Amino acid sequence: MEYASKHGDGIAFRTLTLQQLKDIHSASCRILDEVGVIVHHDEAADLLKKGGAYIDSKGRTHIPEALIKRALHSAPSRITLYNRLGEPVIWMEKSNVHFGAGSDTLVYLDPFTGERRDWTTEEVATAIRVVDALPQLDFVMSMGLLSDVDKRMINRIQYALMLKNSVKPQVVIAEDAPTVADITEMAAAAVGGREKLKNMPHFVLYCEPTSPLQLPFESVDKLLYAAENKIPVNFACGAVEGASTPVTVAGAVAQANAEALCGLVLHQLKNPGAPFLYGFGGSPLDMRTMVACYAVPEVLLLQGCVCDLSRFYSLPSWGYAGCSSSKDFDEQAIAEATMFTVMGALQGCNLMHDVFYIESGRTGSLELLVLMDEVISRARHILKGVNTTPEYLAVDAVKRVGPGGNYLGDAHTAKHFREKWQPTLSDFSTYSSWEAAGAKSMRERIRERLRSIMQEHKPVPLAPEVEEKIDAVIKQAKDRLGI
Amino acid sequence: MASIKDLTEFVIQADIEKVKETTAALLAAGEDPLKIINEGLIPGINEVGERFKEGNLFVPEMMMSAQAMKAGVDLAKEKIEGADIPNAGTIVIGTVAGDLHDIGKNLVSMMLDSSGFNVVDLGVDVPADKFIAAVKEHKPSIVGLSALLTTTMPAMKEVIDALKESNLRDQVKVVIGGAPVSQAYADEIGADGYAPDAALAVELCKKIA
Ligand code: B12
Repeated sequence: MEYASKHGDGIAFRTLTLQQLKDIHSASCRILDEVGVIVHHDEAADLLKKGGAYIDSKGRTHIPEALIKRALHSAPSRITLYNRLGEPVIWMEKSNVHFGAGSDTLVYLDPFTGERRDWTTEEVATAIRVVDALPQLDFVMSMGLLSDVDKRMINRIQYALMLKNSVKPQVVIAEDAPTVADITEMAAAAVGGREKLKNMPHFVLYCEPTSPLQLPFESVDKLLYAAENKIPVNFACGAVEGASTPVTVAGAVAQANAEALCGLVLHQLKNPGAPFLYGFGGSPLDMRTMVACYAVPEVLLLQGCVCDLSRFYSLPSWGYAGCSSSKDFDEQAIAEATMFTVMGALQGCNLMHDVFYIESGRTGSLELLVLMDEVISRARHILKGVNTTPEYLAVDAVKRVGPGGNYLGDAHTAKHFREKWQPTLSDFSTYSSWEAAGAKSMRERIRERLRSIMQEHKPVPLAPEVEEKIDAVIKQAKDRLGI
Repeated sequence: MASIKDLTEFVIQADIEKVKETTAALLAAGEDPLKIINEGLIPGINEVGERFKEGNLFVPEMMMSAQAMKAGVDLAKEKIEGADIPNAGTIVIGTVAGDLHDIGKNLVSMMLDSSGFNVVDLGVDVPADKFIAAVKEHKPSIVGLSALLTTTMPAMKEVIDALKESNLRDQVKVVIGGAPVSQAYADEIGADGYAPDAALAVELCKKIA
């Protein structure tokens, strides 16, 4: 159980035995050594070659295990993320769990009318404010693609919206390294300078290889920029099992792990000791419809492997929660998203994203987001485990109350009942009082909560001069791009 | 000896070895290669297509059957001299510039290939001029464009514009697809068709080829 998750008071979860971990690691090493990868980036190919990789006549880069060992040795095993106010709020290590929203959905599912439409800037800003308000969500992402701005500016404007509408740390998608540079500039303005940002990171950059076994120029360029600037970064493939990776869970993990390790090697060659976030995800191809499906049981197993591997490697872990392949915010969405959230919590995944995704990432549902806030709170309560000290075993209370008595009037109950989990949305009233209060369904209560957050929640504002700096970065980028 | 009818069954069962053996034996016995293709191999893949539509068969099985059929067709083709080899049409396909998503495009390619199209796959991140060069070289009836990113959708229009500039637009039909793409977008940029998935992409191409 060495690499199982360890939560409060004995709660643990394991997916793989030590032998299985070693078998997967060895399969991944064989893939990098015998099959190799294609690196579409000259500096990166050079770094790997100088580090000891072999480039064959077909242009494939073969990575020996020694390079992987060295990278695993130099990479930090933990990362702290700071909010916009400079407070540490996310500790990625061991079995700590944190949750956040997702990025770049195409469709906004209007929570009040059920209409599906393109996202506007205003709607994205509002959605980010909702994430800011929900206590169980630890970080923000870009939520939706802006349909009302020039396409080349989407990532930058999304980032400005995140800074303006939330204090929470972010996970960021950027199309290329120049975009990351602008995002870094904006973040530095918000937290108080480049040097501070470098040492107290406020955002994580999301980079991806292209499976199978290709390192595209932009991804690698961003990865190297992140290494240089000590921006925490992942190199997380989105496996489409049965298409871009083997169809079996173990095969998908072996290949995705190889790709992540290859990213790590490159990253550590560029700047040993820079923070790297290990992980990847999957959306297996449904072999009837050819749809890449989120949150199916195989994906939950894959994430279990990611988490055990991350502890085996002593690297912080990245994953998913609270998402679904359902087209609507319906029973399927709730079943899948809840399962993923509870499993992810038990697995001890350090940074889980995509809470609010439906339709496998094409649509965003704020109703699901609000519901998941409570589901996460339930899951976190479970992770506290069972306290078995004498005070909690309560033999004294049992003595006091005795056979046939009632604990309601006992001091032990009065002392401890507040430790019990409390709902924010779920209803525990009697039928008649529920009816008297309007017989509101969960869905109605979710909408009420959303409405009140949207009307009332005011995120901690940025200082006016910081807003100006952020707007100036946006303006300069527009000028550069000739927009 | 196995008959032409058995060949159909072997394609359905995706038994490559038996398809090869039987095709070779039939050819050796002097059977007409075109008849082997048209009455033995193609009915097999058509039946597989039907079963897929009915939901009794999955894509990987269809792919295996397609490979079995191709193995037979390749053997038969060697014996065809000059005569026209049956072909549903040529399609040049690729993922547009700036976009690296190719899983959907590859599926569409594979399904078209299985359906008898001659597919020229240009890969990912394909700039407009490469499409133009390929159209000039391969003279396809259809150009297929794939984009999965909102930011790369405009590159589809660039290909259409480039086709117009090169006076090639009226020689080819342009079909588009990918997650953010819609019929409305196809209409907006003047594409000839849009399909939301690989099976419908095949139907679309058959219809307009
Ligand atoms: C797998 C995946 C990746 C893989 C791609 C691997 C590969 N070899 O293709 C990787 C990890 C590399 C990747 C990278 C990125 N991705 Co991506 N990715 C996906 C994901 C999860 C699945 C796509 C997929 O393969 N689906 C399965 C196939 C079978 O479906 P399909 O592609 O839609 O194809 C079907 C139809 O559309 C149609 N079709 C497709 N092409 C054509 C062509 C023709 C002619 C026709 C008729 C039909 C047709 O038929 C196909 C078969 O049925 C989607 C989310 C999703 N659920 O769609 C995001 C998604 C597409 N990616 C997204 C993003 C943002 C990115 C990145 C920018 C992220 C980043 N951090 O850098 C990069 C961009 C890299 C680049 N420059 O292209 C966004 C796009 C948002 C947008 N529209 O702008 C999505 C929607 C996820 C999200 N919500 O954030 N991604």
